[in-house]
Amino acid sequence: MGGHLEKRRSRGLNGHLWLLLPAAFLILPFFVWPSVLIIGKSFSGDTGPLEQYRIVFASPGIRTVMAYTFYVSAVVTGITLVIGYPVAFVVTHLPKKIAAICVALIFLPFWVSTVIRTFAWMIILARKGPLNESLLAIGILSQPLRLLDNGVGMILAMVYIQIPFMVIPLINTMRTIDPSYMRAAAILGANPFWQIVRVYFPLSLPGAMVGSILVFISSLGFFVTPSLLGGSRTMLSILINQQASRLLNWPLASALATVALVLTAALFLIYKMVRRAAATSGGIA
Amino acid sequence: MKNEGVLWKILRLSVRAMTMLLLLAMLVPLAIIVILSLSDQSYLSFPPTAYSFRWYRSFLANSDYQSAIINSLTIGVSAAFLATVAGTLVAIAVIRGAIPGKDLLSTLMMAPAILPQIILAIGLYPISVLLSLNGTYWAVILAHAAVSIPFPFIAVCGALQGYSDRIEYAAMSLGASPRQTFRHITLPMIGPSVFSGFVFALAFSIDELVLAIFLTSPSTRTLPLLLWQQLNYQVTPEIAAAATALLTFTLLLILSATIVRRFSQQKYKVSGA
Repeated sequence: MGGHLEKRRSRGLNGHLWLLLPAAFLILPFFVWPSVLIIGKSFSGDTGPLEQYRIVFASPGIRTVMAYTFYVSAVVTGITLVIGYPVAFVVTHLPKKIAAICVALIFLPFWVSTVIRTFAWMIILARKGPLNESLLAIGILSQPLRLLDNGVGMILAMVYIQIPFMVIPLINTMRTIDPSYMRAAAILGANPFWQIVRVYFPLSLPGAMVGSILVFISSLGFFVTPSLLGGSRTMLSILINQQASRLLNWPLASALATVALVLTAALFLIYKMVRRAAATSGGIA
Repeated sequence: MKNEGVLWKILRLSVRAMTMLLLLAMLVPLAIIVILSLSDQSYLSFPPTAYSFRWYRSFLANSDYQSAIINSLTIGVSAAFLATVAGTLVAIAVIRGAIPGKDLLSTLMMAPAILPQIILAIGLYPISVLLSLNGTYWAVILAHAAVSIPFPFIAVCGALQGYSDRIEYAAMSLGASPRQTFRHITLPMIGPSVFSGFVFALAFSIDELVLAIFLTSPSTRTLPLLLWQQLNYQVTPEIAAAATALLTFTLLLILSATIVRRFSQQKYKVSGA
């Protein structure tokens, strides 16, 4: 009987490869090919293969855009972490059924088109929008805030859009933390503050890392929100779009895209390493 | 000592209250769009002073929106179908099959979801020209299918990891052919996840903008692209009505996937997992 099953099992080596064919027909021409094409095109130029990269790294305008993209992504990541951490903590320690509802609430906006969510923020943050009007009505403000053309509104909207990517990995990690560690710390005399800072926080760090990398990666490539709410300052995706579709400078657009691609891939590798490390340490604990 | 306890209780309660407020705040932007869509005014102002369904009537009568909705559904359903077939088969190969390089394969399947879409878009544009797909439905369908493979892939991987392959071996040792085993054991077990993978892929395609900007022509324009063009041109409550329609449709899709999953979980709970 063992032989019968073994035969079916071993036949799999060649017998299962056809399962990959449909995906190969999609992924190879419509994901791998365009990526390779961009990298290839980025090494073209009249003065040599590195011409585009010289432009990318020498042009002060492009450097400003890169720096601004990093700055915005870092700020958005920081704010989502600060907001997301206590939210994840509270939701993790709620009764199971209520926690499930909360997770659904956090994820609900994720399924709504980014165009629509950004549109909503255009309304909320307008000069005579509900935010300014209500702050004026309460008396916190004496004149309306300018939020739409200086990056503040864009960052707010991006934080709103990215919150699920931070909260979900945090909840997943926090669920694995054994409550007896906290009890042990309490018995050893730590008050709740030190229990959280010295015991809970280090154990939740992998979740915070995973969430932060996810938010940072996806912020680097943001296009819709910066276009509609970013005002005069430009982020990397918008610059790539401008070079490609308005100025038709495909080599430069490809070089910029390659830089973004390499950055994303590097961050994604770090993300995988952190996840693997978290998984193995969780297994030992 | 006792004071300290009270202090912590207050702190804990306030963090809890703030969390609940924040969770509700997640819904505020969506609510604002719904309220705006019911405005009776001819320009955008919040809150509206009078309410009516006039912008829904104008949205439904607008032939641009009509064709955009049909395009979005055509592209979404086709792309989701292709992605679901491809993603499900790879998931079966990765979790149950004996193939080399499973780890690399999973990463490759996930990669399209991580890469910024603008990069893929400028790479796909010349390819769609080269394959003379430019401006056809296939250009967007195939691009959306490739990018949404992760949704069915993750869902089906999860389902296959959720039960032991010994059930399949048991069927085969009782004489079932691999095809019979797949039809009567594997498919019923992963069915709900295949469905939710399809729904998530459909929801993704119906909301996607950046690839649509580069790969559609005026005749294959999708709903998010039309919304985007309108937002850059002239903002009226009609956009809010269209956005509400799109939002309602996507959320109903997600709800259906959740219900199917919940229902199937209960069905198998009796036997214990």
